Amino acid sequence: MEDVILEIEGLSKSFGGLQAVSDVSFSIGRNEIVGLIGPNGAGKSTTIRLISGILKPSSGTVRFKGKNITDKPVWDIVNMGLASTFQVVKPFRQLPVAANVMVACLCPRAKRHGEWVKTVELRARDALEFAGIADLALEPASVLSHGDLKRLELARAIATEPELLLLDEPFGGLNPAETSMIARSLKRLHKGGRFGRLHSEGPAMLIVEHKLADLMPILDRVVVINFGRILAVGTPEEIVNNPAVIEAYLGKEVGNLVSGS
Amino acid sequence: METLTNLVIHGLLYGGMCAILAVGFALIFGVAKIVNMAHTAFYMVASFIIFIGVSRVGLPVWLASLVSILLTCLLSVICYKLFFERVKHHETAVMIISVALAMLFQEIFLLIFGGHYHGIPALVKGFMDLGVVRISYKNLFALGFSLITLLGLWLLLSKTRLGIAIRSVAQDREVANLVGININHIYMITMGISAGLAAVAGAIVAPIFMVHPLMWMQPLVMVLAAVVLGGLGSIKGAVIAALILGFAESLVIFLIPDGSFLRGAVSLAVMVVVLVIRPEGLYGVVFEEERL
Repeated sequence: MEDVILEIEGLSKSFGGLQAVSDVSFSIGRNEIVGLIGPNGAGKSTTIRLISGILKPSSGTVRFKGKNITDKPVWDIVNMGLASTFQVVKPFRQLPVAANVMVACLCPRAKRHGEWVKTVELRARDALEFAGIADLALEPASVLSHGDLKRLELARAIATEPELLLLDEPFGGLNPAETSMIARSLKRLHKGGRFGRLHSEGPAMLIVEHKLADLMPILDRVVVINFGRILAVGTPEEIVNNPAVIEAYLGKEVGNLVSGS
Repeated sequence: METLTNLVIHGLLYGGMCAILAVGFALIFGVAKIVNMAHTAFYMVASFIIFIGVSRVGLPVWLASLVSILLTCLLSVICYKLFFERVKHHETAVMIISVALAMLFQEIFLLIFGGHYHGIPALVKGFMDLGVVRISYKNLFALGFSLITLLGLWLLLSKTRLGIAIRSVAQDREVANLVGININHIYMITMGISAGLAAVAGAIVAPIFMVHPLMWMQPLVMVLAAVVLGGLGSIKGAVIAALILGFAESLVIFLIPDGSFLRGAVSLAVMVVVLVIRPEGLYGVVFEEERL
């Protein structure tokens, strides 16, 4: 495989008697967009939270850029270049939208020494512009709609200039137009380059999502989990034709998923 | 007229000093949820460092004040690393440790200097004669310095990167952590700023009032009352409430000169009434909303 950025080996997590994730192992290449799909309660979000360091695994290791990050604190992992967005959006409600993103621009990874607030503010605005909510920069985050909050979270994540983005249901609660806009933005971000004052490394991505018609066209590879275990790994074409995946998750109406229509 | 002017000056002076103390207390509570009962003990420590610097080492007052502010910040950071950091998520343990620290500082200074009152020469001498009333320059200087300190804090919190990071941790430490902010680092810096503010209050007060090892208790009552009246964790609320209570206490001193010991009771009464009638204070968040 190409240069690997994330390696997960034997990852398990139990909550009391419930085994949420069991012996999950997969890896992500530096230039890949990987989908993590599966039925509700399969352990997708738990896996994301284990990788980002919010939860600590019962066993197994997570290696990012060759370094073991299993026991590292969350802020340290973010500063290594691994950013996450979450299913339930949590903004700083009383801060303006721009300040929400500015906070992300302040992490040691994103900040440049000698910058004062003005410069950080401009970079935050670029991130907001990229996410399509620059016009709401001065509004308090508490008034944002769910779709705008999702975009705010995306802006916040990219402001840390990550090398790997973990996205937990980025299309959740969005209408079709918003969904395709975010999907296009993700693809554009993945290509890398400069967005105003922001520099995108062209981050690899791990995306948890249920809206497969929008997700499949932007994926390079798909990991399917069910009951906390890996059910299948393959290209989108292989996955939609995998009888075990159809049986457990996709059902029979999967014909147009790969074409995205 | 003279009494009224004196009342206004004393109210502003005492309220300003208490505002600086209350803001420091509100800041560390708002950011790290640390109820630091040793906050005013840092103010006492700072006053004593100035006293030692001036009377024992022979430093000029301004230099002793500067050294005292720096040393107090350093002391608070050491206290945070040694005592608070390990138990920072257990609010009760933090509070008990802070009370113990305050008592420790008090006993150390009692042991060394005894229970005597010590004076410090004023940084600026002389007075302004306004006809009906004389205002000493040291009081005017103290008032001006209080205002500059509060303005500086506002600029720090609203216009600098550090300020935005501190505000974000105050709002949601979990999310701040998720965007790469080292919250432990922010807690430590905030502790230093908070104690630095207490030290500034000490530097302002030391030449005006007397320095003694029990001087931290009375302001602590006032600070607690101001923070409750202003709304827990609200910096704006703490400033306004401290000024209100500063005037209220000054009023008691001027109206009942023989009963000036009652001024602490005024603050406590205000605190109890506010807790019963409007627990969220002037600018605090309603408790139910806070959980959202």
